[in-house]
Amino acid sequence: MHEIKVLKCLKPVYNKSLILSRLGYDKKRTVLSGEAMREVERLILYTEKNLNLKAAYRVMDIIRIDAPQVVLSDGTVLSGMKLSELLKDSKEALIMCATGGSKIMELIERLQAEGKMSEAAIVDAAASEITDSALDLVMNMVGQYLRPKGQFLTKMRFSPGYGDFDITQQRDFYRLLDGETLGISITDTCMLIPEKSVFAIAGIIGK
Amino acid sequence: MTKKEFRKLFNNRIVLLDGGMGTLLQEAGMPGGVCPEKWAAENSDLLIKAHRNYVEAGSDIIYTFTFGANRLKLSDYGLSDETVELNRTLAQIARKAAGRNTKIAGDISSCGSLLSPFGDIDFETAVDSFKAQVKGLLEGGVDLFVIETMMDLQEARAALIAVKELCDLPVMVTMTFDGPRTIMGSDPVSVLVTLQSLGADAVGCNCSSGPAEMVEIIEKMKPYAKVPLIAKPNAGKPTLKQGKTVFNMDAGTFASYAGTLVEAGADALGGCCGTTPLFIEKLKECTQSLRPVQRETKPYSLVCSNRETVEIHPSLPFTVIGERLNPTGKKALKEALKNGDMELVAEIARSQVEAGARLLDINAGVAGIDEKVTLEAMVRTVCNTVSVPIVLDSSNAEALESALRIYPGRAIINSISGEKEKIEKLLPLAKKYGAMFILLPVNDQGVPETAEERIDIVREVYNEAKKFGFGKEDILVDGLVMTVASNQSCAVETLKVISWCSKRFKVNTTIGLSNVSFGLPAREHINASFLSMAVANGLSTAILNPNNESMMQNVRATDVLMARDLDAKNYIDFYSGQTKSENNTVKSQASGKTLYDLILAGDRDAVEEAVRQELIAGRLAKDIMNMVLIPAIQKVGELYEKKEYFLPQLIRGAEAMEKAMKVLEPELVKNSDNNNHHHGIIVIATVKGDVHDIGKNIVAMLLRNYGFNVIDLGKDVEANHIIETAKKHNADIIALSALMTTTMNQMKVVKELMDCEGMTCRLMVGGAVLDNSYAESIGAYYAHDAYRAVKLAEELVK
Repeated sequence: MHEIKVLKCLKPVYNKSLILSRLGYDKKRTVLSGEAMREVERLILYTEKNLNLKAAYRVMDIIRIDAPQVVLSDGTVLSGMKLSELLKDSKEALIMCATGGSKIMELIERLQAEGKMSEAAIVDAAASEITDSALDLVMNMVGQYLRPKGQFLTKMRFSPGYGDFDITQQRDFYRLLDGETLGISITDTCMLIPEKSVFAIAGIIGK
Repeated sequence: MTKKEFRKLFNNRIVLLDGGMGTLLQEAGMPGGVCPEKWAAENSDLLIKAHRNYVEAGSDIIYTFTFGANRLKLSDYGLSDETVELNRTLAQIARKAAGRNTKIAGDISSCGSLLSPFGDIDFETAVDSFKAQVKGLLEGGVDLFVIETMMDLQEARAALIAVKELCDLPVMVTMTFDGPRTIMGSDPVSVLVTLQSLGADAVGCNCSSGPAEMVEIIEKMKPYAKVPLIAKPNAGKPTLKQGKTVFNMDAGTFASYAGTLVEAGADALGGCCGTTPLFIEKLKECTQSLRPVQRETKPYSLVCSNRETVEIHPSLPFTVIGERLNPTGKKALKEALKNGDMELVAEIARSQVEAGARLLDINAGVAGIDEKVTLEAMVRTVCNTVSVPIVLDSSNAEALESALRIYPGRAIINSISGEKEKIEKLLPLAKKYGAMFILLPVNDQGVPETAEERIDIVREVYNEAKKFGFGKEDILVDGLVMTVASNQSCAVETLKVISWCSKRFKVNTTIGLSNVSFGLPAREHINASFLSMAVANGLSTAILNPNNESMMQNVRATDVLMARDLDAKNYIDFYSGQTKSENNTVKSQASGKTLYDLILAGDRDAVEEAVRQELIAGRLAKDIMNMVLIPAIQKVGELYEKKEYFLPQLIRGAEAMEKAMKVLEPELVKNSDNNNHHHGIIVIATVKGDVHDIGKNIVAMLLRNYGFNVIDLGKDVEANHIIETAKKHNADIIALSALMTTTMNQMKVVKELMDCEGMTCRLMVGGAVLDNSYAESIGAYYAHDAYRAVKLAEELVK
């Protein structure tokens, strides 16, 4: 399982209420007509249809954790206190990535150019959430492969840019997962293009 | 073991399976990192002991310890050449342990990599890998097979086909679910329909979760299950305790769910990860007094993809089968298929589904191309593009077989007629792959003219199909539509066939609708009328063009009139939005208050007309702006602050405002009422190095519509350009957005330049990674979100 595995044509299960939360929807307070909710749902489905979700993952041995540093088997050093805490019971790490492809970004741009900013905002939020769900899919799948061996994954995963896990470490993930083959590019400022692309790491627990 | 003997096991009792084996063997000394199957074969005494523990605990069926012993998975350990031998040995060990009353199921699971299209493993490679395992298990003397812990329905199909092509033993198939779907996205009903149609003798779920979460999956399968259902959950969730993986549920608690699972529809129970012989012993105690629940025996006509099931019945909403993936008479599609270009296929599939098709007919009949290769490519493309099930439109048995083989659901064959050759070739094919089929009432003598003759053929083909185990629910009869241009009575004959099928014979029907008007002008009128007449006679489905909106209007209306659309729900859902929009336009002619409502509702379509009506009614432009639009947009902001509106509603309000202002502005200018229109000038940009700008665009739009003059410089903007522009326009505020920690430093650069130039304008910043303390540290003002940016800007220009 140590080489890079690439998954294509993914259609992950996602949580609609998390998309609404990204848009500031408050279950108790926000008032939305049935018709407006159907429009939101239509746009979420539109997003789902136009995402071209791919993912990649690899399992790597953790050589040493010396908080905040986590040293992987190829010598890559990741740094973050919370990351070190997350991986404290792990001897291996799951390094993963998901991307929604460039078409959805073109469609978001087009909606904005047509003056449909509210639609663009909904599609943007849905694309972010569904792309994130592809990482849930990867974790569930790898978790399933691990279970017969008495292993499981940490519940949480961390992405560069959160807390003290510096965004510049996206470069390490990009290299480890060969982002280029997934159609992702990375800018000097560590931005990922297409925008709906995300890297993450989780720990593997158990022998 | 015969299939009949297998079914007998379930007579009036709950069948008990075994529990987790991995944990038992690890406790017995199996080290990490080894090939578990190889180690177990070399430590047969320990394996026999583990199996016997389950036999003694009460398992009716134990699984061979061959979970990962398929050729592909064994190649991870360099053992693929030992596949047959290893499986034979492990089956023999299980046989030795089982005794006389316990059955041995040859255990097959995932090859450890995903099949195409998700991964790189080709379907036939997976089938071959499983076949090597099946061969070994058969040699080892298993009584039946179990395919378990599958995440992808297609991989489960590959394993099932491998078993079926090598033997006639019973096969149980269980998949693992993550919440309401499998990890790769299949719902329980599609899993059940696909697998039981393909010949699985029991279906269900294993691993996944604890027993409580499995109840819902079994409940969903139950109404449609023709085969026993299996639940084999984990002992709750895994955690790490003193360096060891442990599951959080004890045997007693686990077994206490037996009653609920049986009530939900489970006929066989067992355990997966974290369960031990004690769990099975407890299950035995709890199930002794339980009996399987009686199932409703109603036959359902179900067709499915790997993600979606469609039920066909004359009392349910009419099923539209999209006809457009057929190259006949379509030059562009013909060319695309000739060139192997599947882009157009994907586009046509998508547009038909968006227009309301619930199934898609796929035809690859172009002269001079390899129909088998093309049909298979079209099926793959459609599966990767949309979720609706498919109808395979071909008379080429070879092409049909290759498409049916790789289709990860239950398809319909279009069609099988009464012609001898068709019956001989296509009925076995439909049976092998579990497909439904369209029965075409044509025989070797040709196309019968009268309904009576067609009905005779329907009976004959049905009688043949029955021999293969097909029921009426597996068939759709084609009413056989001919053009009324050459024989006007033929439409009535078709209607008679439909009526007889629906009311007397109780079988679903379909028609190729547009044939009826061939050769006539204004064909859509004939098509629409004929469709209504056919639906009134009980037609279940039709192959038609869903992108013809008038035809779809007819379908929606007919569903209401025939009470197939319960409470007209679908009709109201579809048309209610359009009705509301019209009402708003009408209302907007009545009063200024309604214009206010339109802004509040963010009704971009109606607002311009409403403003025009206000102007026609003689209201001054400045009054419309000051007394209606501005209070309305302020109210939108208030509602957003109270969270009664969420972001899209805030934006829609601003968009409606923008449209209203476009109508109003010429009037304001004309009457010199526009002098104080804007609150101030804002230069806005996403900083250098930052290429994502939807957030900034939303802020810019809101600022504009809350009365600011906004100069938007776009994204990835150099600090110097921002400064020059602000100076040139004498800006009141520079507003900057940054998404990343790597780019937010550019905000500081801008601020330093502002100070250097002695500029007095304010700097306002926002973006995902920013907070107030960073803003303060560079001498800027922080806006947490788009609306707060507006409020902040209003404060700053006061």
